[in-house]
Amino acid sequence: MPRRREPRPAPALELKTTRFAGIQIILNSTEHAALNTHLTTLFAATPDFFGGEAAVFECGRLPADAAPPDWAWLVQELKSRGLNPFAVQNASGELAAAAAQAGLLVLNAAGPAPAPEPAPPTDTAPVPAAAPTRFVDKPLRSGQRVYAAGGDIVVLAAVSPGAEVIADGSIHVYAPLKGRALAGARGDTSARIFTTHLEAELVSIAGVYRTFDAAPDTAVAKKPAQIRLAEASQIVIEPL
Amino acid sequence: MTTIITVTSGKGGVGKTTTSASIASGLALRGFKTAVLDFDVGLRNLDLIMGCERRVVYDFVNVIQGDANLHQALIKDKHADNLFVLPASQTRDKDALTSEGVEKVLKELEHQGFDYVVCDSPAGIEHGAVIALTFADEAIVVTNPEVSSVRDSDRILGIIQSKSRRAIEGREPVKEHLLVTRYDPKRAHEGEMLTYTDIQELLRIPLLGVIPESEVVLQASNQGIPAIHQKGTPVADAYQDAIGRFLGEEHPLRFVEYEKPGLLKRLLGGK
Repeated sequence: MPRRREPRPAPALELKTTRFAGIQIILNSTEHAALNTHLTTLFAATPDFFGGEAAVFECGRLPADAAPPDWAWLVQELKSRGLNPFAVQNASGELAAAAAQAGLLVLNAAGPAPAPEPAPPTDTAPVPAAAPTRFVDKPLRSGQRVYAAGGDIVVLAAVSPGAEVIADGSIHVYAPLKGRALAGARGDTSARIFTTHLEAELVSIAGVYRTFDAAPDTAVAKKPAQIRLAEASQIVIEPL
Repeated sequence: MTTIITVTSGKGGVGKTTTSASIASGLALRGFKTAVLDFDVGLRNLDLIMGCERRVVYDFVNVIQGDANLHQALIKDKHADNLFVLPASQTRDKDALTSEGVEKVLKELEHQGFDYVVCDSPAGIEHGAVIALTFADEAIVVTNPEVSSVRDSDRILGIIQSKSRRAIEGREPVKEHLLVTRYDPKRAHEGEMLTYTDIQELLRIPLLGVIPESEVVLQASNQGIPAIHQKGTPVADAYQDAIGRFLGEEHPLRFVEYEKPGLLKRLLGGK
């Protein structure tokens, strides 16, 4: 007795829907000379970049009254460059008729037009985003200073003694913080400082500062910590 | 292709010139055509340590100002065939070193087929030190096992990252090497000095070598023979190892562990 059931033999032919990847050839013009010039320059450097891929002409951007291009010529030109156009989409009227005559499939003639070019950003109602976060990947050496105006700063390398990190927002240091860190430089009392290794010379939030001249608190020294401002304008340092 | 190596430290008296002389000599002894340039205009020392002070006719500033050509100013070293010294001027100040002038001299050295150009930087972080590191491809940061030296090295690393040509032009950054000098394993062991691992942890750049503290260095500089020529001494061996590592060889660190003298050695009065 066989352990598994024998699979049923596959039928000789099956029909299923599919979506295959192909190339869209977006036509912005149907003028023969313009098309010819652009085809030549486009493929000059890489004549066989497309190794026989299927392609569809996208006509949605053409003006409604555009004269049909010489479809047969266009197909021949593209085939000689390794592209195989077989259909047009979003074509109507004369354009579609000429394409059908040239042996091209006419797809969703009444379908929705392709998305128009993204509109240029208007200056009405800009999103009131905060200043972007500033990222620092390199170690901050003694004497170096970085300032994140209006936002937060993320430092991914060590901040050496004598270096200064300043931000109007919060400060994140994912490495030893051995220099100075000044968060909320323009008075934001909700700003905080985070580090994975607290060994700072000085920390400050909204102008309230603390130095570490005396032996630091052993609960947080050289450990991950958060520094924030408590109600009574006092620096609070907590282990993370 | 000429590689420009700047020997720098920020702090003075840590052994930049000793290191420049020994590294340049070591590279030359290995067959590389090498020039060592003294950027410490006004306080020239390199020619003393190289033992060529009596043969100085023209200097770096003369070449920059066009009073002499490079060929006239380069002094051939007595101890190594492929080594040439370009001394600093004693009578000018550091402002005489212009960026264009230095670049011209370095181009000329490249044209003459030099493999390595070692730039001996002055102490400090002012014009002279900045111009010495401006054109660097690699930097050897000389650091003593003490906190102030480490801090100054950190500062100079920051300057390398911001003011070198490579940084300004956004090319591959200057390759940084840490060289710890005047290292005393006994004092480091007893906690009187930073250990080399402490220093490396603070500066976070690859360690090129550790040169032990030794009276050989002072004797060598008084004689005008770079310390690397004092064969068989720990200092010379440590410099040789450092050069090997610079060229991509692997050498275990030597002269960094403190061994307690045995009873017999103590009885015999060994050090």
